[in-house]
Amino acid sequence: MIFKTTRIFALLTFAALILVPSLIVVLGSFKTDAEVYNKPLSLPEHWNFDNYRRLLSESDLDISFRNSVFVTVASVVLTLMLASMASFAIARMVTISGKVLATLFAFGLAIPAQINLVPVYYIFRDLGLTNSFLGLIIINITTTLPISIFILTAFFREISKDMYEASEVDGASPLRIYRSIALPLSRPAMGATAIFLFVINWNDLLWPLLLIQESGKKTLPLAMLAYRGEYFVSFSMLFTAVMVASLPMVIMYLLMQRSFIAGLTAGAVKG
Amino acid sequence: MGSPALVLFLAFYLYPALQNLQFATRRWDGISEPENVGFRNFTNLLTNDDLFYKTLGNNIEFTFLVVIFQTALALLFAVYLVKNTKTTIALRTLYFFPTILSSVSVGMIWLFLYDPNFGALNLFFKSVGLPSFALNWLGSETSALYAIAFTQVWFHTGQMMVVYIAGLQQIPKELYEAAEVDGASRWKQFTKITWPMAMPTTLVVMAYTTVQSFRAFDLIMVMTNSTAGPNNATSIFSTLVFFTLFNELRLGYAAAQTIFMVLTLVLITWLQRRAFGKRYEK
Amino acid sequence: MMKTQGDKSFSARRVGAVAAVAFAIVATMLPSAFAAGEVLGKACKLAGVSTGTLSTSLTCKADSKGKLTWQKVRLGQSFGTPIAEITPPKGSIEFWHYRPEDKAYFTKIISDYEAKYPGTKIVQVVKTTTDYNATARVQILANNEAALFASARGSIFNDFVKSGLTADLTNERFVKRNLVAKGISAGVIGGKVLGVPYHYLFNNPVYNTELWAKEKWTIPTNLTGWVSWCKDAKAKGYVPLAWPGATRGQAAQISNSALMNSAASYDALSDNLADLNSGKIDLTSTWFKGVADIYVKLRNAGCFPENPTGVTEAAAYNLFATGKSPILPIGTFAMGSIKALNPALTGKMQLMSMVLTDGKVVAEGIMNNTFNLSVNAKSTPGDQRIAKSFLSYLATGAVGAYYANSTTQHVNVLDVDYSANVDLLNTSSFQAKNTMLAPRFLLLNTSVSDLTQDALIQIVGGKSPDDVLPDFSKQIKQKLAG
Repeated sequence: MIFKTTRIFALLTFAALILVPSLIVVLGSFKTDAEVYNKPLSLPEHWNFDNYRRLLSESDLDISFRNSVFVTVASVVLTLMLASMASFAIARMVTISGKVLATLFAFGLAIPAQINLVPVYYIFRDLGLTNSFLGLIIINITTTLPISIFILTAFFREISKDMYEASEVDGASPLRIYRSIALPLSRPAMGATAIFLFVINWNDLLWPLLLIQESGKKTLPLAMLAYRGEYFVSFSMLFTAVMVASLPMVIMYLLMQRSFIAGLTAGAVKG
Repeated sequence: MGSPALVLFLAFYLYPALQNLQFATRRWDGISEPENVGFRNFTNLLTNDDLFYKTLGNNIEFTFLVVIFQTALALLFAVYLVKNTKTTIALRTLYFFPTILSSVSVGMIWLFLYDPNFGALNLFFKSVGLPSFALNWLGSETSALYAIAFTQVWFHTGQMMVVYIAGLQQIPKELYEAAEVDGASRWKQFTKITWPMAMPTTLVVMAYTTVQSFRAFDLIMVMTNSTAGPNNATSIFSTLVFFTLFNELRLGYAAAQTIFMVLTLVLITWLQRRAFGKRYEK
Repeated sequence: MMKTQGDKSFSARRVGAVAAVAFAIVATMLPSAFAAGEVLGKACKLAGVSTGTLSTSLTCKADSKGKLTWQKVRLGQSFGTPIAEITPPKGSIEFWHYRPEDKAYFTKIISDYEAKYPGTKIVQVVKTTTDYNATARVQILANNEAALFASARGSIFNDFVKSGLTADLTNERFVKRNLVAKGISAGVIGGKVLGVPYHYLFNNPVYNTELWAKEKWTIPTNLTGWVSWCKDAKAKGYVPLAWPGATRGQAAQISNSALMNSAASYDALSDNLADLNSGKIDLTSTWFKGVADIYVKLRNAGCFPENPTGVTEAAAYNLFATGKSPILPIGTFAMGSIKALNPALTGKMQLMSMVLTDGKVVAEGIMNNTFNLSVNAKSTPGDQRIAKSFLSYLATGAVGAYYANSTTQHVNVLDVDYSANVDLLNTSSFQAKNTMLAPRFLLLNTSVSDLTQDALIQIVGGKSPDDVLPDFSKQIKQKLAG
């Protein structure tokens, strides 16, 4: 009984904590600023799309959106490729090199690449990787490799030994085993990792803030930060920007919520 | 096969990390010739920098709060929602939802909710007759760090809940069935089965949350107008390094700060392992 | 005047209107002093009001008998008339600045410029003021493409100069002929023009003339007067000062008013600020305690909003725009954003002197020449030439007028007509006052400047100067030692 009541209470409270702010944003994007401030929760007096019209005509959110999609997808795909190969090596090669790899990336997992803020800036500057998508993708991969390898190694370890051994007897090369056995079997784990990485890369602000200045190359979080400056006095415009920037992701999330959540629940992050 | 990943990692993680050590012994503004100052940056940080100690304290407090509350809430909701029904799946979808927003968006939303005079949070407290709860959330030294910690928990609890659900669903059902037969209470089932069986997941969740909390940079930048809060009340290592690097152009000093950031992170991780990991270590 | 495309914002539409229409609108909205237009030699009512910076523009000024009449005033440096812009080579440069709210207007100016000079491209890089001040110098140092960049007068500009980023513009013809002579000094260091201050700002509180008339308030003339005014306004249900304590840069604007009469003279004040900047004195000095005491008196009189340290710019602007607050203590440059929030306030805003002393009045108000535009000395010669060309283009009358009227900011450019923007016209009266170049920017060390403002913010937040001043003095000392 107590369990039931507390359960319902806790679940509803947290649901409200997510729903109410979302509602304020959605409604706020249709309101005037005076309404946003004085009646944040009420319906707009007049539903109008003025804020949206103004934002879409003044902004280049579409460019930032494209940039974000490109950088994120490229980062996720490349990270998965590199990480799955490395994880396979770690899981299968119970040799010194496998151990060294594992230790090194475990180190990277505990200490995020953010600590390298200072040197990375100067290294990237000297390599001409500032204001470049390539630079951003490289640093995204470096930042997320350890966590990806961590997730995938656990998975590759679980694929039954017999399978590997059987194919090794057949004389297949490690690369072949990786391609024909490990990869197909690891699809759920890869899917889960992909979503994990997607969320991290999509939302990252620190690296773009450090490396990207050109407005044509801004990612979405960076563009949002600029909007905060541009519409610093107007929360109705900021809410509209939040709506426009989040909508594609929300739609994708609702369409693919099964893979988002099921993906994570199926393979995810096993210790 | 691990070599491509290794090369990238060595070039853009390990090499900069080592370079960072070298930077830390310099006095350099990024323009003029760097000057070698030995350990002066470190001694200066330790002996003549109140902001450094404040940052250290803030960071530990922030990480502690976020890790404890986020992990506890994630586990609680995972236990509540572990069974697959229409309602639980819908709630999981909802709870995970903040994770897909960008941190800048989340920061802007909460900046508005926390507004002391117009924000929804204080309107709520005033309307239910609890005006003493209506604080100057982000503007007051005493509450600013907690306000941001709460937002961080709000932001990522759903994500960690999903990780927990994955862990919980792997616990063999027979264990619970046997416990039911023995007439064990829910609490007992939790402490005797769920908690120990979920320990591997707990370690992962806590490790991840720890690292994540060190990166609350985005939220702080947005919610405290690109400062470190009132009287540096929300200064954590990532903001400190950023401001030392950019505002003050003291690269060597910033590098020295990151070394202490690493030490703090290692220390916290080690403490967590000690506190929770023992039973799990094989 | 430049033609505007189908533009969105209110003020931009206003600019697009034909001059005659604009003048008619202006005439209906202005206080009676302007209703008849301006005729040379005729009597006028508000000293300092200036119709622009054209050679034919008129300024309301006292004549030899002390009578206010419309007169012509020479603003240029030399006798040469303003020149057209330099023709640029082909190529592409970046223009870095910290006015996101001006982005749309710069976009329009740039697209006109690019249309005039095909093959030359200007890419805007815009950041918020705080981000810009925090990151721009490091990033521009690493980026030669950033051939033209802005910086705020004071510590920020000074830092750019120290980094060797600012090319010498002293001998450029447009610098000599197109700019208001006395406005250039904010960009001069060591006798060289290293930045062109584009803005001519008044960092004085903006007030809602309609509310003031309705409440029959008169502007207090000393600190005691302000204390009782705040009490009265608060009793009537207003937030006396819409002060954004959560945003350091804007919260700091009112410190100009507090500083301006805190010492016996401008020189004495400059010395004090220089000493504070170098660590020779700290915040516990008698002089600064006096400044802090002004804040304490205003705080205790209820001048500031509830939870002042949590008031964001958005909240403060909205307090003013919705009539809940009669004063926005920021500056002329805030008027554009206010009009975007509430167009009905057009023509109903004026600047005020905020004299916060009961002693000797050194100055009645603040002005500032800022938004220093500099050419990157580390860019290639070709890129520098493009930067100079675009800068000279910004310094032509038509472009300056478009920018001024769209953003509701006075500019430092000659040949500009303000009569299309009623608020620019109204507030230009401050040119006649005994103004002081904004003193807070004399704190050239960013850390000292930030910590000084943070200390004052903490005091408004309710803390005692006895705790705050020693604490922040210690923090400043540690920064200066590092």
